[in-house]
Amino acid sequence: MPQRLRGLFLGALLSLACIAGAQARGVVLVVNSASASLSVVDMATRREVRRIPVLREPHHVMLTPDRRDLLVGDTVGNELLDLDPGTYALRRRIPVADPYQLGFSPDGKLLVINGLARAQVDILDAASMKLVKRFPLKTMPSHMAFSPDGARVFISLQGTNRLAAIDLHEMKTIYEVTIGRVPAGVMWLNGKILVALMGDNGVAVIDPASGHVDRIVPTGEGAHQLFLSPDKRILYVNNRVVSTTVALNAADLTTLRVYPVPGGPDDIDFAPDGKLWITQRFAHGLAVLDPATGSVDSIQVGRSPHGLIINPNAEASAP
Amino acid sequence: MDPTLPFDTAAGWLQETLVLPLLYRLGLMQWEDIGYGWALFAVYGAAQVALMYAICLPLERFRPVERWPDSKAVSVDILYTLISRIGLLPLFTFVLFYQLQVWLNGWLTDNGYVPPTLERLFPALLGQQALTFFLYVIILDFADYWRHRLSHRFGWWYGLHALHHAQRQMTFWSDDRNHLLDDIIGFVWFTAVALLIGIPPLQFPLLVLLLRLLESLSHANTRLRFGWLGERLLISPRFHRAHHGILAAGQTSCNYGALLPWWDMIFRTADFSRDYVPTGDPEAPEVLATGSYAAQQWAGLRAMLRAMVGRVAAG
Ligand SMILES: [Zn+2]
Ligand SMILES: [Zn+2]
Repeated sequence: MPQRLRGLFLGALLSLACIAGAQARGVVLVVNSASASLSVVDMATRREVRRIPVLREPHHVMLTPDRRDLLVGDTVGNELLDLDPGTYALRRRIPVADPYQLGFSPDGKLLVINGLARAQVDILDAASMKLVKRFPLKTMPSHMAFSPDGARVFISLQGTNRLAAIDLHEMKTIYEVTIGRVPAGVMWLNGKILVALMGDNGVAVIDPASGHVDRIVPTGEGAHQLFLSPDKRILYVNNRVVSTTVALNAADLTTLRVYPVPGGPDDIDFAPDGKLWITQRFAHGLAVLDPATGSVDSIQVGRSPHGLIINPNAEASAP
Repeated sequence: MDPTLPFDTAAGWLQETLVLPLLYRLGLMQWEDIGYGWALFAVYGAAQVALMYAICLPLERFRPVERWPDSKAVSVDILYTLISRIGLLPLFTFVLFYQLQVWLNGWLTDNGYVPPTLERLFPALLGQQALTFFLYVIILDFADYWRHRLSHRFGWWYGLHALHHAQRQMTFWSDDRNHLLDDIIGFVWFTAVALLIGIPPLQFPLLVLLLRLLESLSHANTRLRFGWLGERLLISPRFHRAHHGILAAGQTSCNYGALLPWWDMIFRTADFSRDYVPTGDPEAPEVLATGSYAAQQWAGLRAMLRAMVGRVAAG
């Protein structure tokens, strides 16, 4: 890593650590996909304090844009659970076929739901939760990202190595292009689409207009998901096969550091103290990674933990 | 500590060190979730085999019903057990069941019907994991009683099921001794019921472990009775042995139950009086008893076809 970059990286980490103080407070809600439950983990004591049963196989969790409702998608249970973000009390059970991945459009008006097992993408009116349009997409639609203006959503198709772009004004597919082996996590960054290639060892950088792959940034075998740090300077990529979390400079995608995180790291959320909380799918754990030191602590949760959210009842932080 | 932790840890290890790298090399990473499902099944299956070995082997050693000069016919049952509990069968059934459930329930949801599950029917059950599980077990055991009873009733079906009955050296390994086609029918049967009541596929692996142990135990070559009341609550080796008796082979039998003797009692097929009878099916071809795995599969298929053709010829 060049000296200048290293300085920038350390500086960013230090400033984060100073803002946040020593210990993060609050809770992490973790979705245990293979034990049909949610775990509530106390961040200070690093212990699971509550386990909440759901129906069958929940995968992801997301707050509504107004932060008033916490949504959990139960795929095999075919329902979207609407929970109170403070108490996790169940408010509503919304019947939805195979709600695997959830995403709200930037204006909060649309809710996009990927049905991975049923090869479909449903676009719902977020206010009424009514289906606006269904796109059958072959196959295994897994992750999504919106263009910042909310005009388009990009969806990775794990089973057919493709990326689909949907125009949300016209409600039609713009393109479906082959981009690489087993595409998973998708992100819009600096005018490009980044897609983690789980069947390959890196992240494809794609021109959003044409779907053309400009280059592939190597990160590690089984690149799975991408997360941007809250200060938007560092892009973290989780690699499933080699079990690493890689920090990239968000500006030029050069590698800053490689962190070993055992157990097939999947989703990440960022704690106020600058640490990364990462679900470990095959270790039934929640890893706490300190990016400054590279140390990893693991907290036991349920089987195959997937989605997670830190302090869902907190006020929205300044953008 | 969570009692499932050692099993889950082993499955995770299997997934990370074997399944994932293999899927990656083969270009099949999109199936990583299914691969993990198989790793869990294989680990719990191996644990089932280890546990039943640890418990049943001493029982068979020290309190056997029969002693044999050699036990050559047992080895094929070991193969049946390994294939059905650790090998490809769990993968196949898991993938198939999962796909079917997703397809059918998703279709129902789309059409405005909420797919049935016991917990939706009785919301108080959500969170009562053990109770919910036992309700599922009771319903599935009831369905299995009828599947088993019908597999004796129809000649073509019994042609397959005779493979299970042909064993004269019955041991705890004999539980999985079934014709592949019979296994598939059993799977379709189970799936149909599971879709009606919404079976949770991976939620209760430890309880499934205990139930499978009880089923293996009921085939063990051991003098074990549960007492007057116990035998009316759970199926004992003595009770199931009566079903495998040479007099009970064929189209009229007794004691069809797998876990609970209740259905036999309700539908008047229970016989608590038979004590440690010799097992086997005297009318089945010898190859079904002592043949190799492949020879038994082939003979079972022929017996089924013969019964079908026989019916057509006679009708
Ligand atoms: Zn029978
Ligand atoms: Zn039997």
